[in-house]
Formats: sequence, C-alpha cells, structure tokens
Amino acid sequence: MVTARGLVHAYGERRAVDGVDLALAPGERVALAGANGAGKSTLLRLVATLLRAQSGTLEVLGEEIADGARAARAGIGYLAHDPLVYLDLTARQNLELYGDLYGIDDRDARIDDLLDHVGLLGRSEDTVRTFSRGMAQRLALARMLLHRPRLLLLDEPHASLDARGAALLDGELEAARADGRAAIIVTHEVERVARVADRLVVMRAGRVVCDESTDGRDPMAVRRRYEEVA
Amino acid sequence: MRRRQLMALVRKDLRLELRTRETIVAMVLFAIVMLVILQFGFGTRDDDLTRFVGGLMWVTLAFTAVLGVGRSYVAEREQHVLDGLLASPVPRTVMLGAKAIAIFLYMTAVEVVVIPLVGVFFVKGSYWDAIGWIAIAALLANACIALSGTLFSGLALFTRARDLILPVLFLPALVPVVVAGAGATHAVVGGSPDMSEWRGYCLFLLAYAILFALVSIATYDAVFDD
Repeated sequence: MVTARGLVHAYGERRAVDGVDLALAPGERVALAGANGAGKSTLLRLVATLLRAQSGTLEVLGEEIADGARAARAGIGYLAHDPLVYLDLTARQNLELYGDLYGIDDRDARIDDLLDHVGLLGRSEDTVRTFSRGMAQRLALARMLLHRPRLLLLDEPHASLDARGAALLDGELEAARADGRAAIIVTHEVERVARVADRLVVMRAGRVVCDESTDGRDPMAVRRRYEEVA
Repeated sequence: MRRRQLMALVRKDLRLELRTRETIVAMVLFAIVMLVILQFGFGTRDDDLTRFVGGLMWVTLAFTAVLGVGRSYVAEREQHVLDGLLASPVPRTVMLGAKAIAIFLYMTAVEVVVIPLVGVFFVKGSYWDAIGWIAIAALLANACIALSGTLFSGLALFTRARDLILPVLFLPALVPVVVAGAGATHAVVGGSPDMSEWRGYCLFLLAYAILFALVSIATYDAVFDD
C-alpha cells in the first residue's frame, strides 16, 4: 500500500525527513511515534501527497507519487490536527462538497449513514462554527471515511477527538485490519495506539530508528520500548 | 467528474459568500467610496468628466479587483481547509477554474453597481445608450481579472507577505486590462460611438483572457504541488 525508499524532505537547510524507508501492507496499522520535530507529520504529509519529496521514491496505493498523485489521492483518507472543513458551511454541506470532490455515487445516503455513525445527524444542518472541537473532529472523521479510503493517514487523532469520537476511531482501526485497509497513525499516545496497531515505527531527527511488530505485546511494554529508542 | 468537482467548488464559494457576505459587500463599498473620492479629487460638479470616464471607472474596478482577489482564499487559509482540498483528487486546474468563476461573479456584482454610478457621478452627456457595450467589455475584462487574479492569489497564498506580494504582482498584470477597458468605454461614451475602436479593445481583452487561461493551466499544478 505504501513503499517509501530513501525519502527526503527538507525545510530550508533542515532535513525533516532524512532518508526514510517504509513499507506498509494491506490491513497493516502502523503507530508512527517520536518526539516533537522528529519528522512524523512531515512523513505523513508526504504520504498524503501534500508535500513533494526532494529525493527518494514513494509509491502509494500502487501509484508512483511523482507521476500519479491524483490517482492515489482518491484512495487516501487524511485526518489532520484541523478538521479541514469550512466553519461557515453546515456539516451536511461540507460532506456534500467532499462527496462531489471524490465523485461518490451514493453521496446523500452515505452522508446520512456517516452523520448518524458519528452522532451528528441531528446537527447536520448547523454550521460547523457552532460545533465544539470534539464535534468538529467527529465531522472530520466522517469526512475522512466518506469516500471509503483504502489508506488511512491520521495525525495525532486522539488529541482532539472527544471520548465518543475516539471510540469510533478505535472501532474503525479495528475494522481496518479485516477490511484490508492500512493505516498510519502519528501519535504521542503510544500505549493507546499500541492496542490497535500492528507495528511501532519510531522516528528521531528525520530517520526511522525503530520498526518492529507490536502484535500480542502489552501496550505498556510497547510504551517502554518507545521510550528506550525515542 | 471534473464538471461535478468544478460545480461543487463554485457552489461552496457562493454559499460561503451568501452566508458571510464578506467579499462582495466589501468590494461594493470600496468601489463606491473610491468613486466618491475621485469625484471630489477631480474638482467641481459642474465639470463634465466624460472624456475621463473610462479611466475613472477602470482604475476603480482594478483596485476593487485587488481587494476581491486578495480575499479569494481567505476561508481556506483562516479555517485551515486547504489541505483537505489538496488531499482530494481534484485537478489543480479545476480549483483554478472554480476560483476564477467565483471572482468573475463577484466582479460582475460590483459592476452592476459601479457602471451606473459612474454615469451618475461623472457624465453629463450620453451614457445610458452605451451601457450595454460597456457591460460587454466589462465581462471580457472580468475574465482577464478572474484568471490572472486566481493565478497570482495562488502564488501569493504560500508566501508570508501575501498581502503585500499580491498587489505587487497583480496590479501590473491589470494595466493592459485598465487600458483596454478604459479604451472600450471611451469609444462608446459621449454621443458618437466608435464601434470599430470598441471592437478592437474587446478583442484585445479576449486575447488577454485566453493568454492568462493558458498560462494558468500550464502553471497551476506547480503552484500548488511544488
């Protein structure tokens, strides 16, 4: 689903991502951890095709990103710190917009299902400006799932989700393995994400310093391992 | 698919504008204030300013365009939505087209107010007979403004000093539009319309719009992806 080789991205002189290799198979869920400034979010933005690598190769969902970024984007679901929705549109209008951008055939039925799923059906005609942070992020979760993405990219998702949203997200990540969807979850909450992740990848100073399985391991043990290497 | 994406983006811009009324209202008020200042600046009300009317109108519209174009990505920037659009499979040229259509419509709304007001403020002789010809030239000029404005606002979007950079890039690109718009207006105002001169300026505006459409299509991917 994702194959990165020697990926480099620099902001000026500073290499935020410095020669990263990463491979992700269908159904695999990776917890991507590291201290602030380690390069996690930059790597996620590269995979989301929001940044272009200055060197190295990146293949996402079978598409070489240098040539086929647009085709890959159709299969990526991206959840960022910000909900990526317009505050002055209603929840439904935002999802209609994204539904049209992704060319979803059963747009209206899908929107109703997802709004119900994230507990916002009753507020669907309200502008997002009237939502709490947690509600807006639940709408972002619906936005991310709207086009049935095969690859989920999540940037510290638990940081801004309320309890209900976090439970929904954990359910989605549990279901992802069975559906063959892959996920990269950037996180500081390693033990929490370890419950739903198959692998722990740790970055330090733009490089991957640890890439190992978490399957069957106690989340606290995963946390301790992270602290050793980070 | 592209048409659906284009219509969705245009609908989104119009919905946001209808809800907030931030851009068109600001543009219309700015244009009216500028016309009033120009009227005072040009002296007494007894003077007939018919021969200057093209310049007065198009300088006003050019500065109003800078204001409108400067606000064209405000919602995406301030509400941090741009990543959502860029992460979706929308061709960048569709984004360009949608913003250009929105700016075109905003400018048209401003001109519905400005073109008649110019007649009231500055013209003593024949004006109202020519208003249809002025409107046609204005629509062509709007296409130039929308296409060039979208390109430059996209370029300025990723810079820190965007509020400074946009007018510095955009105003020089508007000089040919002001010259041709003023020329087309001058050709039909004042009682003896010169339709061949008007046609020449309109063809120039059309060519300028096509030129900017081609430049934008060729460069817009690079603006957003690099």
